[in-house]
Amino acid sequence: MFSPDRYEFFCPVKTNSGSRALEHLPFELDTMNATKPFVITSQKDARRGLVDVIIDAFKDSGVTIGIFDGAPAAPGMKLIKELFTMYRDGGYDSLIAVGGGAVVDTAKILNIAVSGAPEDIERYAGSDLITKPLKPLVLVPTLSGTGYESSRYACIDTLSFSSCFLMPHLVVIDPRMIVFEDVETTAAASLVTLTHAVEVYTGPEKNPLSDSYAYAAIRFVMENLVSVIRDPRDGKGRLALVNAHNAAGCAFSNSTPGMAHRLGKAVGDACQLSWGLCMGILLPHILERQTSEDGYHIPGLLLPLAGFDVYAETPEHMKVQKAIGILYDFQRDLFEASRGAIVRSLKDAEVPEEMLRDIARKAAGRSSTGFDADVSLMVLEQAWKGK
Amino acid sequence: MNLPGYYEFCCRVKIIAGHDALEKIPDALAYLRARTPMIVSDKGVAGAGLIDIVTSAIKDGVTIGAVADDVTPDSDLQVVHRLARLYREKRCDSLIAVGGGSVMDTAKGVNILISENADDLMKFSGANALKRALKPLIAIPTTAGTGSEVTLVAVVKDHERHLKMAFVSYFLLPDVSVLDSRMTLSLPPAITAATGMDALAHAVEAYTCLAKNPLSDAHALAAINLIGENLVRVTRDPGDKNGRLAMANAATLAGIAFSNSMVGMVHTLGHSAGSVCGVPHGVCMAILLPYGLEYNMHKNGHLTAELLFPLGGAQVYAATPEGERADKVIALVRRINEDLHEASGGRHPRFFREVVDREGKQMVPREKLPEIAKTALSDGSLFYNPEDLDYDDFLMVMETSWEGEPLERRKIKKG
Repeated sequence: MFSPDRYEFFCPVKTNSGSRALEHLPFELDTMNATKPFVITSQKDARRGLVDVIIDAFKDSGVTIGIFDGAPAAPGMKLIKELFTMYRDGGYDSLIAVGGGAVVDTAKILNIAVSGAPEDIERYAGSDLITKPLKPLVLVPTLSGTGYESSRYACIDTLSFSSCFLMPHLVVIDPRMIVFEDVETTAAASLVTLTHAVEVYTGPEKNPLSDSYAYAAIRFVMENLVSVIRDPRDGKGRLALVNAHNAAGCAFSNSTPGMAHRLGKAVGDACQLSWGLCMGILLPHILERQTSEDGYHIPGLLLPLAGFDVYAETPEHMKVQKAIGILYDFQRDLFEASRGAIVRSLKDAEVPEEMLRDIARKAAGRSSTGFDADVSLMVLEQAWKGK
Repeated sequence: MNLPGYYEFCCRVKIIAGHDALEKIPDALAYLRARTPMIVSDKGVAGAGLIDIVTSAIKDGVTIGAVADDVTPDSDLQVVHRLARLYREKRCDSLIAVGGGSVMDTAKGVNILISENADDLMKFSGANALKRALKPLIAIPTTAGTGSEVTLVAVVKDHERHLKMAFVSYFLLPDVSVLDSRMTLSLPPAITAATGMDALAHAVEAYTCLAKNPLSDAHALAAINLIGENLVRVTRDPGDKNGRLAMANAATLAGIAFSNSMVGMVHTLGHSAGSVCGVPHGVCMAILLPYGLEYNMHKNGHLTAELLFPLGGAQVYAATPEGERADKVIALVRRINEDLHEASGGRHPRFFREVVDREGKQMVPREKLPEIAKTALSDGSLFYNPEDLDYDDFLMVMETSWEGEPLERRKIKKG
């Protein structure tokens, strides 16, 4: 097994997952010395009754909670300032984010404000500029996430933040909150998750601890995504997928984002497509390319993708080909299970071919990990055509 | 991947690993806003020259406030108080624990006193009595086995009043664990073997007992794989730096796995044999591990079978028919014990009758087995074991593991 000469790893997240997990919240808050949490969620999640489950969990606990259920899809700094005032005036001492995406960004950014002052926020935009722990932040994820909820990343307006202190202290995955979502939403977060976990597992910063989180995430996505897309009533599958989102967020926070992540985002931003869809299309093409580059660990990927038996019976020199083949098969299975909604090429995603050059240049410009525009373009062209 | 009805998983310890990881400690302390650490260790560690390696690696970056290298082999309340006084006197602001389990326990006890500015440790004993972060604590393990660099438990003994205080809190987790190959390079083969088997027992029981979860499983699989590939090798060739680092990684992974999933009967009996006869913990784990797997086979044989993949490697796994894999795992664990016995010049015992103290005296006389079995009945770790054991069952396991005979499967009562 690969054991690197040096590495660092840190994951402050505690995970509680399963039946009635939310009922442990009052106790968990107490262990963090928090007594009055401020819940942040979206109107959509409030309307479908998810907040009621949270309220029930605090019944008889003696804990008072505040609820803001109006987090919009694109929160701005003005909202953060309003929430800061509500938090301060209400005498709250901790945050609970219920949902995914923008709700969690809002809670993470608000946490910077309430742990210091709202005017501090912009100062902390960037990488690793927050230097001390923030207030306790609990994440109660749903299936409508983006795959970034448990990670060290947050963004608002044009500002983006990266710090291990932004990671939730506690993630409570409760089956009652994992209600089903449309195909696109379900696939988006899980494909971001798969991409992140695969890039951690195969990338130059691979280490046994981030591998453990990545391994669990990859197995869960491979075992459950197709069946949940085919039949969203698969509650156990949905729960496994959210477990995967969480584990991959932890792994991803300990690694420099890889090429599939960066190119996927670039394509998504340029063409208003979901990042997950783009990353999912690009991933096998990029792995194929990295097979011949130094510093990547592609053969071992077959293990989390396919399990012990397939790994053990595949000869060493066939492992890369087999792993990449499985990812293409996975694309096909998702395409079929979603009746064509989850497409397999950038062309089918209606990315104009003439935009590829521009996307490649932009993505390479942003890169800190040394892949150039030519390589990016080559990969994009392959992914445009598809397998 | 198994997804249980409910699970919890947490390891908030930052891991810094490498052949030169110690050099990163000043930065890690600065990140925790500390600059004057007190080093806590014991005579054995200091005598092996390890404190010198640590101090020369960090002295340019921090002011070492104090070095207390006289922690007793058993964590002791008096020592905890004395070290807390020293810490205050020297105006330290953080702790670096260099050593094994009792050094870690002592440092955690000291940390409670100094952080809470308290005189009475008892007030904080039990589960979750701590409510806020303690002073920065950096753990540097000097064996690759116990995993105490990533556990949230501390045990401190009050030898005067014959009390054992246990503390359980996420705030007891070290802030940082530093895994540096230099810390285990001089470990003698017998200790390398026993501590490595301790880590293997952690990981195997984490994977095969009742409170397993997907994240503890992933950590356990990685640990078992690293141990399978490296333990016998480093016991034979102690200077193998890469093997040493791999074992340090394995012990930490195994520690994370078991502290998030609990353990079973191997630990139950191991604790008893340790407390009744003073057998080192790792030795108990090494001897008992195959018996735990045999005893539980009818309940968790399918899980044991899966372990052939990480322990024996992909080729052995593929070449072994599914129905024979669990037995193969047990045979492999016994084989590892044999190899370690040979690699340590016979010092790594394979059965309880082979365990001797420094004077060569047998540590576990046969007539002590009933007492060990009796003590095991009151150990909490049995709760997570797949199959129940009563006094007779414990005694049967002790007798066979004393002799070195395999268990007779037909004698196992299936509940």
